[in-house]
Amino acid sequence: MLAKLGDWLDERFQWRQVWEAIFLRKIPHVNWFYTLGSATLFVATLQGITGILLTFYYVPDPTHAYDSVVYITTQLPMGWFIRGLHHWGASAMIVLVVAHMLRVFFYGAYKYPREMTWITGVFLLLVVVGFGFTGYLLPWDQKAYWATTVGTKIAGVAPFVGDWILRIARGGPELSAVTLARFFGTHVWVLPASLAALIGVHLYLIIRIGISAVPEKDE
Amino acid sequence: MTQTKDPQVSRRNFMKAAIFTIGGVIGGAIGIPAIPYIIGPALKQGDEGWVRLGAVSKVEVNVPTLFKTTIETQTGWISTDEEFSVYVLTENGQDFTSISNVCTHLGCRVRWIPEREGFFCPCHNGVFAKDGSVVSGPPPRPLNRFESKIEDGILFVKRGS
Repeated sequence: MLAKLGDWLDERFQWRQVWEAIFLRKIPHVNWFYTLGSATLFVATLQGITGILLTFYYVPDPTHAYDSVVYITTQLPMGWFIRGLHHWGASAMIVLVVAHMLRVFFYGAYKYPREMTWITGVFLLLVVVGFGFTGYLLPWDQKAYWATTVGTKIAGVAPFVGDWILRIARGGPELSAVTLARFFGTHVWVLPASLAALIGVHLYLIIRIGISAVPEKDE
Repeated sequence: MTQTKDPQVSRRNFMKAAIFTIGGVIGGAIGIPAIPYIIGPALKQGDEGWVRLGAVSKVEVNVPTLFKTTIETQTGWISTDEEFSVYVLTENGQDFTSISNVCTHLGCRVRWIPEREGFFCPCHNGVFAKDGSVVSGPPPRPLNRFESKIEDGILFVKRGS
């Protein structure tokens, strides 16, 4: 009965081919370092889910941001767990993307015909760093405030355009409610949309072109 | 690499089962905590507890006396000071009745007008007697009463009841 329903649906959706192309594709004999990309994807998904849950209570406004974070952590059932996952997941993301990049670099996996996989990966790295930078401000505690003060100030020393970058990042000359709101908007809308689009291309290339084998010693 | 001895469990099926099991455990580890996380605030009971009104000696016999106090309410991460008013009535100086000043019709605040011996609601002309029972107008039931107690001459009422 269930198999019949599955067949009926597949005749209309034609999903089995897609499933086979994604999960039953041929890959070279590889090692555990090749799981770093999947591990990154897994943690990214986790960040997405926990991030959505955090927006149920978090308020991006200087008067309430810190209080809402404290409320999540201390008052809500399992709030500490959801926030903890998002907090540690953020660090794990950075570690995993860097490890993944190093694996690709040292195995020479970025070479022809996989240059575009590497280039989309570079942009993905930038997006992940952007997530880290914007997310760090959101708890609006002392560490967040001063880290963003310093971070935007570093951008400000760039020649000629520095002051503009600093003002655009802060939404004015000083760190303010405007800064918090735009960091939040970037963190929950701009970056996730970019991440999703880039992951789409990145995964398409991995499946379409395939992954490279472990290089031989004399290669 | 060892070959599977039992032909009924192929390598592929074992992997499939392992992936679904691990995936299920991880999904549960996030999905199950998400439920109390989301519904938690909805299950929280309203603030209960004794609110201090003031010296019971202030109450005159047979005249509803208004006690005003502010109470702090916590909703989520925002705490607000709310004005809380209670009319207290005694007929013998021993037993005290604490009457809510919230009209039972649509929640406006009623006021005791001594000259006319009644509680008057400004919204829809509801009128209540001294003991809170309905005299005229749209209110469906008498004014609510609070559970009260007296400690060392200080009157307390129980909120949220």
